[in-house]
Amino acid sequence: MNPWVATVGHELRSAGRERLPQLLLMIFIGMTAASAFIGSAAKATVTEVYNSAAGQGLTSAPNPFGNVPPLYYARNTVIYILLIGALLAIVLGVQSAMRDRRARTVDLVLTRRLSPASYLSAKMAGISLGLLAVLGTSALISAACISAVTGTIPAPDQLLRLTALFSVAWLFLLFFVALGMFSGIHASSYTSALLIPIVIWSVIIFVFPLLGTAVHPVSLLNPVTPPTAPQTGIFALTAALTGPLSLGEHFKHVAAILLQDPQATGTMTGGITVILAFLLAGIGSVVLTGRPSMRKEIHD
Amino acid sequence: MPESEGFGASSGFSYRQRHKLLSMTEMAIETSALAKTYGSKQALEALSLEVPSGEIFGLLGHNGAGKTTTVNILTTLLPASSGTARIAGHDVSTGADRVRRSIGYLPENVQFYDNLTLAENLTFFARLSGVPDPAARIETALAAVDFTGHGQELMSTFSKGMRQRAGIAQAILHEPKVLFLDEPTSGLDPQGVAKLREIIIGLNQSVGMTVFMNTHLLAEVTKTCTSIGILSSGRLIYQNSVAATLEAFPDQASLEDIYLHIESGTPS
Repeated sequence: MNPWVATVGHELRSAGRERLPQLLLMIFIGMTAASAFIGSAAKATVTEVYNSAAGQGLTSAPNPFGNVPPLYYARNTVIYILLIGALLAIVLGVQSAMRDRRARTVDLVLTRRLSPASYLSAKMAGISLGLLAVLGTSALISAACISAVTGTIPAPDQLLRLTALFSVAWLFLLFFVALGMFSGIHASSYTSALLIPIVIWSVIIFVFPLLGTAVHPVSLLNPVTPPTAPQTGIFALTAALTGPLSLGEHFKHVAAILLQDPQATGTMTGGITVILAFLLAGIGSVVLTGRPSMRKEIHD
Repeated sequence: MPESEGFGASSGFSYRQRHKLLSMTEMAIETSALAKTYGSKQALEALSLEVPSGEIFGLLGHNGAGKTTTVNILTTLLPASSGTARIAGHDVSTGADRVRRSIGYLPENVQFYDNLTLAENLTFFARLSGVPDPAARIETALAAVDFTGHGQELMSTFSKGMRQRAGIAQAILHEPKVLFLDEPTSGLDPQGVAKLREIIIGLNQSVGMTVFMNTHLLAEVTKTCTSIGILSSGRLIYQNSVAATLEAFPDQASLEDIYLHIESGTPS
């Protein structure tokens, strides 16, 4: 077996036996499954209130939830990907790099025939495959739950959109895998290896959008509606600077278009470009790691 | 280990035979004016060393003498600042990949992947070395370190001594010509030290493997090594066979006394 392929298999086997990723994985899949039922409960509550109000003659407007598309029920999944999925990806990346450093096996690897770039890219590929399996499972569960809630199987184009959502989520999460690996390779302790990417994640997901829009922080957990940036004063400048770096907002925008949210406007091109740019930067920073950096000892 | 049980037996050309052919034409390890500096600190200074094939060479020296730096350069983990080094005829800087195919390495305090079994760990390293039939080679390597039957045990259940034996098994999976051991007996109990000595001598005598080891345990060097070198502050101040060394210092009671005598700067 090719050493690169052997490393991919080794990575999958090792990650599969670690408890923290297993726990996060169960939470993530559980929340994905719950997403459709949470959406259904919200719709039922609003509809009940609407029917009551309409019965008393308080409104003649149509029920705002009367004609939501089936993919509406997957909208909360976007937030779970941003929160739990990203943390899972960071943990997978950190554990992957730290596993070698804790086992002190880096020198055993580096005195064999695989270059650092090949070895690290194979490790990333292994985690990517694992993550693909997780997201594939989540997509199936999501489709099944939407079917259960709506009473009908989603149409082929809707299934395609759901598949596209989880594919984009995979690319989005791979950046956080790379971030975790980079931190796991370079940090001096396990604690800082986990803490640093989590801080970076919070900056990208929460701080940059706040700097650009002055939006209320809780609004950033809205899965669809993009915060509107004021076009004057300091916000015009900060929005221009931090907008492209607000990875979470770009992901949410792409997800909203894929889930056919009526409020979503524009195209996915810009968002996907930003996601790919982050991913390429992350992969580059990992695979370009030199032997001396890989051999650094940890101080836990 | 009988020659017919592996280490090249399948090629119809035993490891010992191949090794002897090589030993007629080349040194296992040769360095010339090898030096390494870390900033302004000279860790290794003009090291010129020759270790013939088939030796068990012990590199001695106090902490910080440059032993680990030497091993790191010879195993291609660290680039030298100047000078040259050749392992089994291959230059460590220009032929690093060929050097890596020729060496086995056991660093100090290797732990392995705790949540994998010994066999899973060894399979991974065998595949990284391009070993075509890992299962058969693992069986042979485990037999060589007297560890048959432990393959399915989780590494997390292994003692320090067992990990060292597993470490040697991983280092010989790809039938290296030269085996590098960094403080192999560090932290082992007397039984563990004796077992490791038996394994090292066994590998050397059965397949003619050249062994290069760093160690502090001078009593162990007398029992294990065929030749020694002494590093002091990055300089090689002595190199000879163990037998010749013991003969040359008849007034010293042990190799430890000889070492301290040479280190103090008054060699006879």
